[in-house]
Amino acid sequence: MHMRKFLCLSVVLTLLSLSSWAQRAITGRVTDDQNNPLANVTVMVKGTSVGTVTNDNGHYSLTVPAGGRVLVFSYTDRETKEVAIGSQSAVNASLTSTASSLESVVVVGYGVQQKKSFTGSASHIDTKQFSTLITSSVDKQLAGRATGVQVTNSGGLANTPARIRIRGINSINSNLDPLIVVDGVPVISGNLAGATNSNAIGDINPDDIESIDVLKDGSSTAIYGSRGANGVILITTKKGDKNGRARVAYDVTYGYSNVLKRFDLLNAQQFITIANEKFTNANLTPKAVADPAGVNTDWQKEVLVNNAPVQMHTLSVSGGNTKTSYYMSLNFSNTQGVVFSNKNRSYRARLNLDHEVNKFVRVGNYITLSRQEDYDQNNGSNSLGGAISASLRLLPNVSPYNAANPTGYNILYPTGGNSMGLGSNLQSIDDNWFNVAFTLHNNKAYSDKYRIIDNAYIEVSPIKGLKLRSQASADFLNDMSFTSWDPRHGDGGGSTNGLVDNYNGNRLRYVWQNYFNYNLSIAGAHNIFVTGGHEVQKTNVRFSEASGQNISDIFFVKENLITNSATIQSVGGNYSQEGFESLFGRLNYDYKNRYFIQGSIRRDGQSSLAPDKRYGVFPGASVGWRISEEKFWQNGLSKIVNEAKLKASYAKVGNPLTGFPYLSTYSSFPYGNIGGIAQNNVGNPDLQWETSKKYDIGAEISFLRSRFTLTFDWFKNDIDNLVLAVPTPPSAGVPNNSINQNIGSMENKGIEVAVNANIIQGKKFNWVLNANYSQVHNKITSLYSVGGTPVPYIVRGSYNILRVGDPIDIIYGYRYAGVNASNGNPVYINAAGKYVQQSIPSGNYNLIEGKNGTTVGASSPLAFSDKTNLGNPTPVWFGAVTNTFSYANLSLEVMFRYSGGNKIMNITRQEALFSQSFHNNGTEILGRWMSAGQETDIPRLYYGQSANINQTNNAISRFVEKGDYLRLQNVVLSYSLNNKTMERFSNGYIHSLRIFAQGQNLHVWTKYKGADPDNISSQGLDAAVSPQVRTISFGLNVGF
Amino acid sequence: MKIIKIVCALALLGSTVSGCKKALDTAPNNAITDAVSFATADRCLLVLNGVYDAAQSGFYAGSYSANRGYPFGSANIEQGDARGEDVVNLAAFYQITYQATYNPTTANNLNMWATLYALINRANVGIDGFSKASGGVLTPAVASQYVAECRFLRAMAHHEALINFARPYRDNNGQSLGVPWRDFPVTSGVAVDQVRTSPRMRVDSVYKKILADLDFAEANLPAATNVIRATKGAAIALKMRVKLHMGDWAGVIAEGAKLVPATVAPLTPTSVVSPIGAYALTASPDGPFASNTSAEAIFSIRNDALDNPGTNAALSRIYGSVTAGGRGLVAISPIIWNNAGWRCDDRRRTLLYQTGSNVNTTQSIFTNKYRDYTGWGDYAPQIRYAEVLLTLAEAEARNASGVSARAVDLLNVVRNRSMVTPATSQYTVASFATGVDLVKAILLERRIEFLAEGKRWGDIHRNAPDANYTTGGIPAKAVNGAAGLSIYNCGAGYTPGQAAIPYSDYRFIWPISSDEISQNPVVVQNPNY
Repeated sequence: MHMRKFLCLSVVLTLLSLSSWAQRAITGRVTDDQNNPLANVTVMVKGTSVGTVTNDNGHYSLTVPAGGRVLVFSYTDRETKEVAIGSQSAVNASLTSTASSLESVVVVGYGVQQKKSFTGSASHIDTKQFSTLITSSVDKQLAGRATGVQVTNSGGLANTPARIRIRGINSINSNLDPLIVVDGVPVISGNLAGATNSNAIGDINPDDIESIDVLKDGSSTAIYGSRGANGVILITTKKGDKNGRARVAYDVTYGYSNVLKRFDLLNAQQFITIANEKFTNANLTPKAVADPAGVNTDWQKEVLVNNAPVQMHTLSVSGGNTKTSYYMSLNFSNTQGVVFSNKNRSYRARLNLDHEVNKFVRVGNYITLSRQEDYDQNNGSNSLGGAISASLRLLPNVSPYNAANPTGYNILYPTGGNSMGLGSNLQSIDDNWFNVAFTLHNNKAYSDKYRIIDNAYIEVSPIKGLKLRSQASADFLNDMSFTSWDPRHGDGGGSTNGLVDNYNGNRLRYVWQNYFNYNLSIAGAHNIFVTGGHEVQKTNVRFSEASGQNISDIFFVKENLITNSATIQSVGGNYSQEGFESLFGRLNYDYKNRYFIQGSIRRDGQSSLAPDKRYGVFPGASVGWRISEEKFWQNGLSKIVNEAKLKASYAKVGNPLTGFPYLSTYSSFPYGNIGGIAQNNVGNPDLQWETSKKYDIGAEISFLRSRFTLTFDWFKNDIDNLVLAVPTPPSAGVPNNSINQNIGSMENKGIEVAVNANIIQGKKFNWVLNANYSQVHNKITSLYSVGGTPVPYIVRGSYNILRVGDPIDIIYGYRYAGVNASNGNPVYINAAGKYVQQSIPSGNYNLIEGKNGTTVGASSPLAFSDKTNLGNPTPVWFGAVTNTFSYANLSLEVMFRYSGGNKIMNITRQEALFSQSFHNNGTEILGRWMSAGQETDIPRLYYGQSANINQTNNAISRFVEKGDYLRLQNVVLSYSLNNKTMERFSNGYIHSLRIFAQGQNLHVWTKYKGADPDNISSQGLDAAVSPQVRTISFGLNVGF
Repeated sequence: MKIIKIVCALALLGSTVSGCKKALDTAPNNAITDAVSFATADRCLLVLNGVYDAAQSGFYAGSYSANRGYPFGSANIEQGDARGEDVVNLAAFYQITYQATYNPTTANNLNMWATLYALINRANVGIDGFSKASGGVLTPAVASQYVAECRFLRAMAHHEALINFARPYRDNNGQSLGVPWRDFPVTSGVAVDQVRTSPRMRVDSVYKKILADLDFAEANLPAATNVIRATKGAAIALKMRVKLHMGDWAGVIAEGAKLVPATVAPLTPTSVVSPIGAYALTASPDGPFASNTSAEAIFSIRNDALDNPGTNAALSRIYGSVTAGGRGLVAISPIIWNNAGWRCDDRRRTLLYQTGSNVNTTQSIFTNKYRDYTGWGDYAPQIRYAEVLLTLAEAEARNASGVSARAVDLLNVVRNRSMVTPATSQYTVASFATGVDLVKAILLERRIEFLAEGKRWGDIHRNAPDANYTTGGIPAKAVNGAAGLSIYNCGAGYTPGQAAIPYSDYRFIWPISSDEISQNPVVVQNPNY
């Protein structure tokens, strides 16, 4: 062996010494990193125009002219490779996919860019990380995957979209969601259905996604101009390889979901004690009586299901030849939510087709077909039929069922009103909460949505390096929703006497883009990349809705609105249009891959602004320096730090408006059924774009031949011209008590750190650590003034305010001092720092000396001025740590996610778990004050005095809690059968096989007392949200 | 060849760029711009109907779609009762009002304030538009009628605001702090700035402006009956109410003369017919509730099955028993039910009240004045002829030196129709030792006749400073949630469990909305809020 090498070397040396290069034939084979042949790879002799392409088997042959020394192998989406010919007559090459390569590309707006020359800030998310995870849509899996991207999945419903915030909250009243771009085209996203929660991004099969790039800083989002303020998520779907071989893959996952944490509620016996104490303390007769049959109902069991089944199937075929490549897939997924009437079923198909007509013209068409069926229920946190809210309040000593009732449920049907049965109690539940077992089984909220996204392009390459592309896309979403309320009980009971509602809405968005990309390299030193073009977008949204009440027979409420079956009928509808028109350009220049500069500009026009204010110009620029390319670096230092890049960027981007806020308009306001119109908006013709000035400074450093990489970014985002619905005095009587104005500013500042470490790189055992940390500090820097005086704050609902110098929407309320141990009354601390006791029955506030003071002092009502900042509702720091261990073909991935620095106003505890009405409560209430001298934080019980005892509709520190948590997000254990083994076993029919078992959202470590610290609204409020879900699943990926 | 390729490519690009400007050319399809909202006579009428809509269904919690009957579609009635002692609150809906635990952010007070002024602004926008359209798209006669309707509603809204947010006129003769008076349209930021320079006026100044509006309304409104629109009769009747609040007894009598004949026959109540509008009592006390448009109705706010205050505020939902098809949230209080001054054989007890289950499935006595239990479309009665008669009776009684015979007659007209044997049970001048006793009887009759019509608070409010008739403040009430038929015993009296709140207490009047205080520094908060 050594001998042979030696001989070869000798021959080479001999040939070299001859040093007379003549024209000669070279052959070879080009493969991918798994030794599969690659067709259509361009093979060029460096410095010449001599070249060829590989055939379907990856073979090529080429006559190298005299003086040809190096072959250049290049292929779309793969790393370009240069190989010295030397004296060989056969030169083989293996091209690794750019996706897995350190030299990979970054998908940017209207193009791709080499990662090394990218000077903006973007996170690339490799979807292989979560390709097997059970998910109805990709947005739910983005949490923890990228720095600066904060993702909250509030609650466990199967069909709600995740809340994604990129580098903080970038607006107060306008859009907060990032722009989502699929294969270059902005798509419709959001929670859209008429009757259910529904996630428009769910129409994209997660399994079809090749990669996701999140553009975060200004310079990379500036190319999206007015829509760059909230960041941009670029989704790239899979394409076929032009390697001539069709690949068939079947991915299947089966799993089961369970509630991560239930509420701890009183059982029947505890309930009777607590309820009767409420009555007795209020000098009323006790009304809770134990059922002789020993009824002890766990109402959560009536609402939540155990082992909710989930399944996902995707069958895909991809491949191509030298001219044509294709990727097509079929998908079915079925996600049963943990609330038993909650379900998502998706049927999705895709065909991505690219065809090279000739060297001059390329065409392609990507089409997505999708149908999503969503089933939902009343999720209202205060609705009498709200699934979770009712389960917390319904009485545990009352049975959901009654065999004697014609419906089988314990309800007062057909006579006795729209109430639950009393059981043995002397009265029924307060406020008439509905028998949720009945309503969930008999009411219906259903949405059936069809979506077509078609995206066609033609690309022309008139000269080397120049590509002109015209791309047209239509995104069509049709939603047929149906709501049905049973007339016998619940939301549709009583005088409503049944309700049906049909909603038919559709959205159509056209996008037409025409742009060019031009690449030029001068003398191997000056590299220029120019992009420019034009884009128009128009969106039409329309819906019509018809509903009926007082249905003649229960027969007619089942599936659809039926003509003449309802005596009270109503209709509604709307139509709206919105458009964008844009011109954009970008120039990248680098000198020897060492010094980089980039500039971009976009001019956007938007229909939501007055004609003379319609256009905005959004510039961006960035610079970069790869220090590691400098001579001084390469002397030794590069052995340790092989790549070091510094970069900085600045840009001004915008946030678009919706509707026509610049116009004063009159809309329909009938007086009874007599037609009428009235002002619905006082317009502001001076309205302009919200602008974000984004600054970023970052570094990317790789150590030890990229075994360890570190990226760091500092960013600052100055947001100005915030469009605030500036409150007008209510006594002005202006519609909605506000007029939109560009006023107010805000900033987000933070850092992002990501580390990737191949800690152990053994022959068989590997350990990769991936960690990221982000910190975002938000601060409001100015608001409007009233009469020249800046407003001290803006009230935002019952629990939050906006105040200069504080983060957005701080929780604002009273400071709770605890319970007066001498009498059980709640005690607060007022603005002057004095103790104020609230008498439970009268609601009067009086000063007391000390928390346990017994002498009642002067009357001192709590006023708004006694409220104070109780905390920031938005997580300040978050991130994830992922460890991947692999041994031979076995791999284990463990992902932890963390978040914190925020406070949560726990309305669930305030309103339900501590309700003083004839409702059930949480077990926490067992610690209530009962006798003089008892120290507790839970006031004396008193029937009917929730408002006094719990300060309903006010934030109080008693219910404001820390939101910090650590979550065991995913554990994935997989085993891949070796390709060769597999092929041998299956006679070559099966190419690859991977089996896996995984757990998602397995555990949360937190001090938060609610169901889950992620169950919060954007204002940090937790109000009877559907519990989080833990999913265990198994699956396999087969490749044919 | 290369040139041709480039030209082809550029042509492709260029052709697509042109002709796309249309993307931005779009306008609202669901709303008419202000430039053309008064462009035709039909549109002017639509705008006028929109003003009435603001009276029926102002926005609640920032949303127009949540119709909760603010201010006059039902909310003024429900709040007006819940502030008084003659109903019992059974659920959380009116508990804060009932127990007077409101603060500047309480939804009920906040929304009442906001929707009253929203109505006022719609009226002002209408007044401005109709005035400009006068002689053009509208004839001067129609324009001034529309303006008069707006001014009627403007007056009514300001008066409601005074009753809730300010001390009564008769406290210190109207010199207390009233409410802001708005009489210009707010359709721009500039006009909002103007609002910020006009503070709360004195109570007497607001009353003066209310009367000016009502005088204009009376002069320009048609005499013909139209229950759901402002009419001459409605303007006069409202003026009577306003002057009663001012203690201007002679003024009430002067206005009353326009609507009540000089002599009345108490034993035939239906024979008393108004010279304007032909208003008259119905034969039976439930007549005004059997039909939304009875002869007795002078002005009501229209609700119907398609547009009503909804399950959380519609009159039949709130006041109706569960048994009858309501929600049983507000019951009749034993305080009035057991009042010895309300005869046990009064026909109203059986015609307008019934027992039924309440929200807690125990039993209470409820009104069935509001009867549309399926469509929830009962009109919200604001002024009916019985009020005109009793208001006039009270003014005559107070204006006379002894016991006014006309006042007794007028009281009897209303009371007799509910008597089984009016001839023997009716009052005579001899029934009352003094004029004060007569006024007390009239005030009690108002409580009985208008029970569950939201009039109670107005009476408590205006009489609070009157030593003879004051309730002393917010009266003692039955405890929140008091229920069970055992508490109802005709004539037996009742000891209320919820303590009274003295007139001097800050809670007697509502806090001004915190939004107003923060947005409008010239508007000062009521003390202690």
